[in-house]
Amino acid sequence: MGKRQLRNNIRKLRFHHNEMTQEQLAEKVGVTRQTIIAIEGAKYSPSLELAFRIALVFGVPLGEVFSYEPKDDPI
Amino acid sequence: MSYQEKNITVSLITYILILGFYLVNLFQMLQEGGLVSTRLFSLWAIVIIAAIIVNIIGSILTNIVLSIVHAIKTKTNENERFITDERDKLIELKGVKSSYITFSIGVFLSMLTFAFGQPPLVMFSLIIFFSIAAEIIGDISQIYLYRRGF
Repeated sequence: MGKRQLRNNIRKLRFHHNEMTQEQLAEKVGVTRQTIIAIEGAKYSPSLELAFRIALVFGVPLGEVFSYEPKDDPI
Repeated sequence: MSYQEKNITVSLITYILILGFYLVNLFQMLQEGGLVSTRLFSLWAIVIIAAIIVNIIGSILTNIVLSIVHAIKTKTNENERFITDERDKLIELKGVKSSYITFSIGVFLSMLTFAFGQPPLVMFSLIIFFSIAAEIIGDISQIYLYRRGF
């Protein structure tokens, strides 16, 4: 298997949920805003529990928030 | 800069000051004719106690100052969310790992001086030096990870 990277649609999902701010999302899932920024920027891979909490906030399956794609593929 | 970064920066500054104080006193002692065990023991005690107490006081003061600044900024009594999440814990662990590696290398180098015939006071002085240097390296690595994202 080639190199893969965790990508996410959090920015898009926030926009579609009344333009939710990073701070609001951070408060809902119980982390700091800096952690949300790091996850959105694909710099930090969240734990499975945090990933599920983020998906729950948006009311979508986990696969709609995160995807595991080949590293070179554009989003 | 996040709450954790501010706290680590305060810790870094205190350790740098303590290391500076230690080195200045150590070199003064060397210039005055060598390491004297009684003076050196009291210097070690001062440095170790200062490292513990100054860090605790620094942490408490940082919390108080940050809370006051936040209250003035937001004009509310609500406490800022000074929480530690999973990313903070991982960064802290990586910092501790860096400290541990630095200290291990330091202890090894200190023991080498003893193996090559230096007096035990030199070895212990170096161990104290590396213990503070390890904390500084740990803090720097944490700040680096926070700046980079993770």
